[in-house]
Amino acid sequence: MMSPAAMTRRAAPVLACIGLLVVWQVASLALKNDSFPTAIEAIKAIPSILGDKESLVNILASLRRMAMGFGAAVLVSIPLGLLMGRSTAVAAFFNPLLMVIYPVPKAALMPIIMLWLGVGDITKTLVIFLGVSLPVIYHSFEGAKAVEEKMLWSGAAMGLSPPQRLVRIVLPAALPEILTGCRTGLVLALITMITSEMIARQSGAGNILFNALDMGQYDTVFAMIIIVGAMGICLDAIFERVRARLVRWSEPQFDMPLSFS
Amino acid sequence: MKARRNGRGSNDAPHGCENDSLSGRVLAKLVPLNLRASGTEDGMTVVSARSSEWVKPVTQQDPASAIIEIDRVSQVFQTSARKDHVALSDISLTIEEGAFVSILGPSGCGKSTLLYIVGGFVSPTSGAAKMKGQAITGPGPDRGPVFQEFALFPWKTVLGNVMYGPRQQGVRVTEAEAQSRALIEMVGLKGYENFYPKELSGGMKQRVALARTLAYHPEVLLMDEPFGALDAHTRTRLQNDLLDIWERDRKTVLFVTHSVDEAVFLSDKVVMMSKSPGRIRQVIDIDLPRPRRRNELLLDPRYQKYVVDIERMFDESDEAGAPA
Repeated sequence: MMSPAAMTRRAAPVLACIGLLVVWQVASLALKNDSFPTAIEAIKAIPSILGDKESLVNILASLRRMAMGFGAAVLVSIPLGLLMGRSTAVAAFFNPLLMVIYPVPKAALMPIIMLWLGVGDITKTLVIFLGVSLPVIYHSFEGAKAVEEKMLWSGAAMGLSPPQRLVRIVLPAALPEILTGCRTGLVLALITMITSEMIARQSGAGNILFNALDMGQYDTVFAMIIIVGAMGICLDAIFERVRARLVRWSEPQFDMPLSFS
Repeated sequence: MKARRNGRGSNDAPHGCENDSLSGRVLAKLVPLNLRASGTEDGMTVVSARSSEWVKPVTQQDPASAIIEIDRVSQVFQTSARKDHVALSDISLTIEEGAFVSILGPSGCGKSTLLYIVGGFVSPTSGAAKMKGQAITGPGPDRGPVFQEFALFPWKTVLGNVMYGPRQQGVRVTEAEAQSRALIEMVGLKGYENFYPKELSGGMKQRVALARTLAYHPEVLLMDEPFGALDAHTRTRLQNDLLDIWERDRKTVLFVTHSVDEAVFLSDKVVMMSKSPGRIRQVIDIDLPRPRRRNELLLDPRYQKYVVDIERMFDESDEAGAPA
């Protein structure tokens, strides 16, 4: 049996979603605007999208690109960020480069990348890659920089070589921070995925969304927004579970230290 | 049993290091074979009365074999103001095998830096440190550090932390685990093997850190104000336990502290340092019987005299050391 407090905590996200839908419904009814369907209309449009084979193929293609872009970005960014955090030379080299790229919206680079690589998967995946990389590099860098010197010395005294220290001490010690970056990266992957499909329409969830917009099918537009939002929530929830498992040792669950007796 | 100078017969008054190494060589021949038995309940008088029983000429071993030699080491740091800060100036010190040596001094006298140089974590600006005749060029498992900050691996459990060194040295898992469990028990943490560091108090963390370092059998323990971050009660307990552990296997210990009581209670030899620039002021032999018991020692006038003398010397140096 759950305590009332625990039940409130469990129910809170659901209540928030229902609240949002109610506000939406009321606002839509009040505004009576054709391009703003009611929440109920939008929800009703969801089954037809998810039931349509072509739409599903589009959405899965989106997810595949997102997974590839995200995965590649994480694989490149974590080592780079860790190296930057532990070597001032590496940091001095990459910092200016990253500072130039950071404020540029990755979607703004897309037309150029399209010129080089076409409008296919590679372009879109590359844009996602760029979008995810920066927060992951940044957080890996910060995490690596914050690793206690004495911890590395302890490892060195045990006979760990510098590369071993990077993999076996810096990486795990910086993991909580790295995963914070990955979580931001995951959301950015979703955003860049949709924007990339807006610019280079060919397939994908963004393609459905913007085609529907062009054709004035506003209930489909809003249904897609709900679907994309739900994907974001699900991915984030899955990621959070994995993250919590990986860094259980750092979570402040047992805040009270045991006294020694 | 390692040859150890018990300082028997050396004068009560502190003296310089030149005399010391001389008397050390002579006195090292008077080595009690069983050190535990030599200092029984009735303390120091008995030790000296009985000492003739224990006098054994040691011939096989170089009596005062130096394990660490620090030769004219200086360390200069560049501060942000482009002014050089001389942390250590021309330090020479020899540490004998099996000795418990404390480096005592005010904060900022470079005592930790000296320890880091011996650890190989910091390279001196000039001069050299040697371990068993070999120049120290980097950290190694022959010199095990224990830091004030504990520096445990937070993603490893207590057992994982202690096993880390032996595993790195290539010890098989089962063997490393058995050894580590024994060590965890020795430092008084049986039952906490699967706890993460964040779940432990400061004193427990330092116990784990000590076990983790002992686990890979360093020849020298380098302790950098290990009890500095602990409350007084916990510090006392850890000092007692450290002495118990040390008196079992008598590793060489280099112990950095700013506490006079701690240095006198634990050490065979106290190296007093003064600050700016960091220099060795005096090396004092602590001629107190072992095994040491705190409750006996605190009442021992000789212990009290050491503490008072050392404190007085620091006070004098504070007055004399006013900025020129």
